[in-house]
Amino acid sequence: MSSASAGEVAATSYLAHHFESLEKQQHAARLGMWVFLATEVLLFAALFAGYSVYRYLFHEAFVESSRGLQTWIGLVNTIVLVTSSFTVAMGLDRAGRGDGKGTRALFFVSVLLALLFLFFKYIEYSHHFETGELPGRFYRGEIAGSGPRLFFTLYFMITGLHGIHVIVGATILVVIGVRAGAGAYTPEYHVPVELAGLYWHLVDLIWIFVFPLIYLI
Amino acid sequence: MAERGSVAMEEHERVGHHSHVGRYVVVWAALLVLTLATWALSRLHLPGGWAIFVALLIASSKGALVALFFMHLWDQTGANRLVFMTSLVFVALLILIVLSDNSTRFRLANPPGSEGALPFAPTDYSMGAAKEPGPSTGQGAPLPR
Repeated sequence: MSSASAGEVAATSYLAHHFESLEKQQHAARLGMWVFLATEVLLFAALFAGYSVYRYLFHEAFVESSRGLQTWIGLVNTIVLVTSSFTVAMGLDRAGRGDGKGTRALFFVSVLLALLFLFFKYIEYSHHFETGELPGRFYRGEIAGSGPRLFFTLYFMITGLHGIHVIVGATILVVIGVRAGAGAYTPEYHVPVELAGLYWHLVDLIWIFVFPLIYLI
Repeated sequence: MAERGSVAMEEHERVGHHSHVGRYVVVWAALLVLTLATWALSRLHLPGGWAIFVALLIASSKGALVALFFMHLWDQTGANRLVFMTSLVFVALLILIVLSDNSTRFRLANPPGSEGALPFAPTDYSMGAAKEPGPSTGQGAPLPR
């Protein structure tokens, strides 16, 4: 390996004193991130379980409420998030080649896509506030019964929690992107880029299930 | 210990140094195609339970593509795969058990106004916030079905 000396410099400066080697440190970091992602999945699973129960009990009302949503926004937002996931993956590839500036550029593209996603969410939410399609007792829509109230409670809980994750993920991408652009990582050590990417992919992964369940009933 | 070190090294080698650009492009294209497919299929209004079955099948395929290739679960060692797979098992347990509970209850136990509930005195879930001026029968007066 031609970059053996550079690799050793990186190994000594990045290695925390309680790890034997940089490889073990990165292995531990990845495992820790996967455990965290597992808890995130379980957090959303509770909401999806609630969704499945009330969709089963109030099927007609859920179909009718979902029809009032703008499907094109859901479709466009799915394409936007999938594409941002792709640019994050490409950014990780650049980091693996030691191209920090490339990582920064690709992460910033992903952040712009995240902002586009949030802009569409804003259009959608303001439309719901105008028409009174709001959770629980705030519902002022036209569909009778408690079905649409439950649908919009779950709608705002799931998409709202997901939206918070989009904001957090975009912030992480900005921080890691700026650091990568400043040359903080090397081809031997860029595990923060990898973990930031993992978080963003999870945000995408959850939306992939939100789209058919909320918009395409 | 030496063995674990070599496992971590192997993982590092596989995740760190190979180019994945081609793989990323293929996965991205597949995700876009599947997104359009699930949208198009939803417009066909497949009968019965087929719509949700097909939608979840496509969503799971897309999720698997993201997890395996964008998130590199494909290249990970056992521990990382096990953690994520375990969480998915518990997601399935939670949803399936809760759903099978609700679908096997006798009708009286279902909340009024829902499908399969007995048609008796409806509960007013509006709590007065969105009540129309007029008769005080509340939202649930004509049952939705």
